[in-house]
Amino acid sequence: MSPVIIVLAVISAVLALTMLFTKNPITSALCLLGVLIMTAGIYGLIGEHLIATIQLVVYAGAIMVLFIFSIMLLNLNTESTDFKDKPGLFVGAIAMGFSVFGFIAFALNEHFANHRQDFPMGEFTSDKVAALGGNSKVLSHALFSQFYISFEVISLALLIAIVGAVVLAKRKFD
Amino acid sequence: MEYFDFLQLIAKILLVVGVCLGVVPVMVWFERRGAAWMQGRVGPNRVGPFGLLQPLADVVKFIMKEDFTPKNANKFYYYLAPLMALIAPLCALSVIPFGSKAIVNGQEIVLQIAQMDSGVIFILAFAGLEVYPIILAGWASKNKYSVLGALRGSSQIVSYEISMGLALLSMLIVYGSFNPHDMVSWQASKYWGVVVNPFGALVFLISIFAETNRLPFDLPEGESEIVAGYHLEYGAMKFALFFMAEYIAMIMASALISTLFFGGYSLLPGMSQLISMISSHFGFGEVGMTNVTAVFQFVSLCSKVGFFMFLFVWIRWTLPRFRFDQLMDLGWKILFPLSLINLVVVTLMVYFLNK
Repeated sequence: MSPVIIVLAVISAVLALTMLFTKNPITSALCLLGVLIMTAGIYGLIGEHLIATIQLVVYAGAIMVLFIFSIMLLNLNTESTDFKDKPGLFVGAIAMGFSVFGFIAFALNEHFANHRQDFPMGEFTSDKVAALGGNSKVLSHALFSQFYISFEVISLALLIAIVGAVVLAKRKFD
Repeated sequence: MEYFDFLQLIAKILLVVGVCLGVVPVMVWFERRGAAWMQGRVGPNRVGPFGLLQPLADVVKFIMKEDFTPKNANKFYYYLAPLMALIAPLCALSVIPFGSKAIVNGQEIVLQIAQMDSGVIFILAFAGLEVYPIILAGWASKNKYSVLGALRGSSQIVSYEISMGLALLSMLIVYGSFNPHDMVSWQASKYWGVVVNPFGALVFLISIFAETNRLPFDLPEGESEIVAGYHLEYGAMKFALFFMAEYIAMIMASALISTLFFGGYSLLPGMSQLISMISSHFGFGEVGMTNVTAVFQFVSLCSKVGFFMFLFVWIRWTLPRFRFDQLMDLGWKILFPLSLINLVVVTLMVYFLNK
């Protein structure tokens, strides 16, 4: 593992903790943005450029803009932006987070402990992907040939969501 | 990573960053002289020959000015915003190829900083990050005009990103690749992208004007309405950083549109004869030939970028500013549907031509 990855991981951990413990919602959102960018950096360093790019385009470039936009639009004075301290809720949330993390770790551990020997390798090894012209090409081919029905269904679902949002946000029809 | 690889990477980064930062003072001078030329004025002509030392005088002014910070500003974000403004376009430049390859010491160097298979999509990623400095600067300054400018800027960039992305998508369908080298070789062997898809080129051109906040779309700054918009509270070198960021974003956008639609680093007509003449005169071998070609490819890309920089200045001093609702109407009601139709047309065209 390259030392740069460790540096990025440490930075993103610090940012994630800041995101959790800060009282300013903007700081929180920007720390989340930092975490996303650092994750993209890690993806890039392990050679998964497409995932890194999509991470940047979708999460950092689109979703977080929306988050920050709405935070800034909804409340600009400091009184209403500070979260109220609710220790019980906080402890509960932390306990829940840790338990979810524990379940995931447990499930992964079980999976790999039981299937390590006869774990079937996927069709695409990294050498094979590189020979076929890189991740983006292989992914595009898979999306538009093998999985095109699922692709179209997902785009329909997104269209329905957009239409729903427009209907909800539109002023009442005359 | 080998020593040589590391060294060549550093050299390429230094070249790109050096050229970009070196072009900024020239552009500042040209912007003023160009403005004066188009308006029938004289322009800066006192500092040095033709006023060429004017950027130097500007830098001195920027450094000597009082470096104030507004009392109510959120200090950390206030200082973070100009830095982010400069970093995002510089990162995007890392994917733009400025030549096919050079051979140094028997080893081949690809003249592109980051060779990644997602290619041009990576540029879109960093174009999307250009929203943050504007939002942050406007919000952290705690000034209502700044917030207005920030809101205008971010909604404008987000809106025009859609038509920009659709224009880019139509070209991706034509080239069938994300890789900018493939795009350039496609254009060198057939015709420039602008010939194949002129409407896409037009939409892309309009969108990059909105993305870089240049007139006629400089509503985030709109001096006559909201003083100076998102960078109203910035003075001295902090303002200079925003200023530089605008020019670097312009360079990035020009390089991107040249690569996508105008042949990128492919040689301009007449250059190949010049190269063969030079190499036969000096008796270069294959290695020398490759390197001379690389130099000419760099010159070719630079001249195209130069033309677009000139276009930016030209349009700035030709067209008046849009009104905000006109800008949004243009983005959402005209460019967005038209670029969707264009995408369908290009798809059909590619399908029937490749059949």
